[in-house]
Amino acid sequence: MKKIFAIAWKDAIIRFASSSEFLFFIILPLIFTFLVAGGTPSGQPTNNRTRLVVVDQANNTISKEIIAELENSTAAYPDVLSLEDAEAEFDARRTDAVLIIPADLDLASIQNGTAELEFRQQPNNMDASIAKRAAQTAIRSVSSSINAANMALDEAKANGTFESSEAEQAYFDDALKLAKDMQADTPERITIIEGNTTEEVDYDPRANSSAGQMVTWVFIPLFGISALFAYERQQGTLRRLLTTPTTKAVFLLGTISGQVVMALVQMTLLILFGMFALDLNWGREPLALFVLLTCAALAAGAIGTAMGTFVKTEGQASGLSIMAGMVMALLGGCWYPLELFPAAVQTIVKILPTTWAMQGLIDILLRNASLPGILLESGVLLGFAALFLSIGVMRFRYE
Amino acid sequence: MTKTFLIGIKDLRLVFRDRAALILMLVAPFLLTLGMGLVTGRFSGNTSGIADIPVVIVNQDDGELSTALVDLFNSEDLADLVEPTLSVSPEAARLQVEEDKAAAAIIIPAGFTRSIIPQQEDFAAGNTPEVVEIELYANPTRPTSAGIIKSILDEFMSRVEEGSIGAQTSILQMMISGRITPEQAQAAGEEMGKNLQNAAESDSLSITLNSTTQGEEVEFDVLAYLAPGMALMFLMYTVSYGGRSILAEKTQGTLPRLLVSPTNSAQILGGKVFGILLTGIAQMLILIGGTSLLFQLKWGDPLGVLILVLVAVFGATGWGMLITALARTTAQVANTGSAVMLIFGILGGSFIQLDQMPASIQTMSRITPNSWALDGFTTLALGGTLADLSAPITALLTMGILLFLASVALFGKKNLVQK
Repeated sequence: MKKIFAIAWKDAIIRFASSSEFLFFIILPLIFTFLVAGGTPSGQPTNNRTRLVVVDQANNTISKEIIAELENSTAAYPDVLSLEDAEAEFDARRTDAVLIIPADLDLASIQNGTAELEFRQQPNNMDASIAKRAAQTAIRSVSSSINAANMALDEAKANGTFESSEAEQAYFDDALKLAKDMQADTPERITIIEGNTTEEVDYDPRANSSAGQMVTWVFIPLFGISALFAYERQQGTLRRLLTTPTTKAVFLLGTISGQVVMALVQMTLLILFGMFALDLNWGREPLALFVLLTCAALAAGAIGTAMGTFVKTEGQASGLSIMAGMVMALLGGCWYPLELFPAAVQTIVKILPTTWAMQGLIDILLRNASLPGILLESGVLLGFAALFLSIGVMRFRYE
Repeated sequence: MTKTFLIGIKDLRLVFRDRAALILMLVAPFLLTLGMGLVTGRFSGNTSGIADIPVVIVNQDDGELSTALVDLFNSEDLADLVEPTLSVSPEAARLQVEEDKAAAAIIIPAGFTRSIIPQQEDFAAGNTPEVVEIELYANPTRPTSAGIIKSILDEFMSRVEEGSIGAQTSILQMMISGRITPEQAQAAGEEMGKNLQNAAESDSLSITLNSTTQGEEVEFDVLAYLAPGMALMFLMYTVSYGGRSILAEKTQGTLPRLLVSPTNSAQILGGKVFGILLTGIAQMLILIGGTSLLFQLKWGDPLGVLILVLVAVFGATGWGMLITALARTTAQVANTGSAVMLIFGILGGSFIQLDQMPASIQTMSRITPNSWALDGFTTLALGGTLADLSAPITALLTMGILLFLASVALFGKKNLVQK
């Protein structure tokens, strides 16, 4: 036991000899967790509507009313830019549609029917069509009272003539005021009820980010056990161990258990960040969480051990650990929800430990699973640990 | 010049002999691009974007306006956007939403049309019609699609209201001005009511919306965003690896040996930078070639791609040199380089799209070469040409020049390459 502790302690000293290790141990995981969660503590995306670039050359009450109506749209939102920027974005295809409100848009131009707005859209683009519909609704909403007053004037002309153009204008102004009052009193004719739809995809950006980044940033250093072996082998310290009464099992146990404990400390810090910064309920099932995290750490540590028996240099091991960790994290659903993957891919990725670790963490966090609910995931992770540890022990050589 | 060239070529050869470096330079971005393609469905023919939004309509009204609304959802204009189905039961329609088979259910109750267009008997009895509301039963798990259905409904209702307000204003104003009597108003109201259905179906606006479609139709390949994102992230590894070699040569004793030869420090430093540039360009071109051949990925205008690769590598190399100039040991360069690679990767858009991020993070992303270069590669993939790349090219060149100047100043202070 003393030897196991001594080996684990020695590994901790080697690992944290450079202060830059803290970058990878805690600072980068926190930055990634925050950014992948959406860059906001609430984790809510700032907008899920289609972007419509608006160029407001009129800059008057009517143009502002159109923009305000677009703000209220449920399908598109306005982003006001200068003509030059809008054209540059459109030409570079960074925006699907541009609405240009010309400088000559005013009440008189609407009244005499000469008001025109320009709408530029990318070809055969659904988002542009959605934005166009939103623009039409906003324009209609702003111009409907003027349209109503025009209609009233036409009807009046059909029933007689006006004594003068001033009388005609006065009639229009009165009708416009009446129409605006009526528009303000228009009753709501659409009731929106939110359905009780069961989420097929359990997705909360904060939860997925917290769980996913924890798996990513803990698996990579645990795979890095391979680099530790390569380092010791290159330094010749593994050979020196041959001269001491230390068995292969004790050495491996000391190395793996030390790294697993460090991983548990790292995961605890990330969980605390999730709880206090992202308001996630990680503390609901602490026993289930502890069991799952320990199994995940053992599986990753065992894979690192097995990898360590294949690589020759520390550099190779380091590169391989980062690459394998990132690829497994991506395919295991740590960056994007697994449920959004194509069905065939969802099945294939079950061969990865990251998939099971992520599944278990999401079960605990979003599906309220307790210990019995994550036994399958924990069992599979222990299976990975047993398999790769066996490979590691069988292939392990001091030289 | 020859010496500078030889040092650069020597470094390029050394990098491509280092298996560990090749893992992160070429294998990792390639595998991650492959993984991204798998999880986004790029290789299984899945398409992204909004189309064919399923919506269930229950029409219990059967009046002119409700019929016009059903016709609108079945119109050619909305054929690609929505996929409407009719149901007779509101409960069945709501169930479809609850089972996530529809983005929304629209339930038009009986009396909807009559609440807006009063019938003759309503006029005769002097009844004020009660407001009858359409129910939009929205699927909360599809907020964007449900929002689009709501906007279509809003537009329809705005047409109806516009017609209704127009009719009422006309009659009331004529009554107020004494042009018609109350008795004549009833007849005029009935007549205008009949025209309301036309108003609901009309696209006419008092402000003309001149719509123009510009440019060529381009189908965006999601991999055209993901592949450059990964290549650019691991380009940051390459440039810090190159910078590390300057310090490594010093600790390994090969730098003093070079300095005793008739080679000055500027030639050595120039050669090292040239080596990093060559390695970065080679890495990017191999990844571009590989993804083009294996994934049939179209990167766009070849000249634009080549120029963008050159300036992206130049900008990234500036960062690599700065990291080297600030570090004291090769380990420091390696660790800082890896950290910068990952931070620039996420800030530059390699992992997540930045559109939905807060403005402060979008602004911060502009310090990364990844963000500018990714903008350029996306423009090219969408059919842009070299002429459309002025902003990313200028930004990357400026970034590279400023960082090189800062690095040279720091190298000078440290007397790193001195006899």
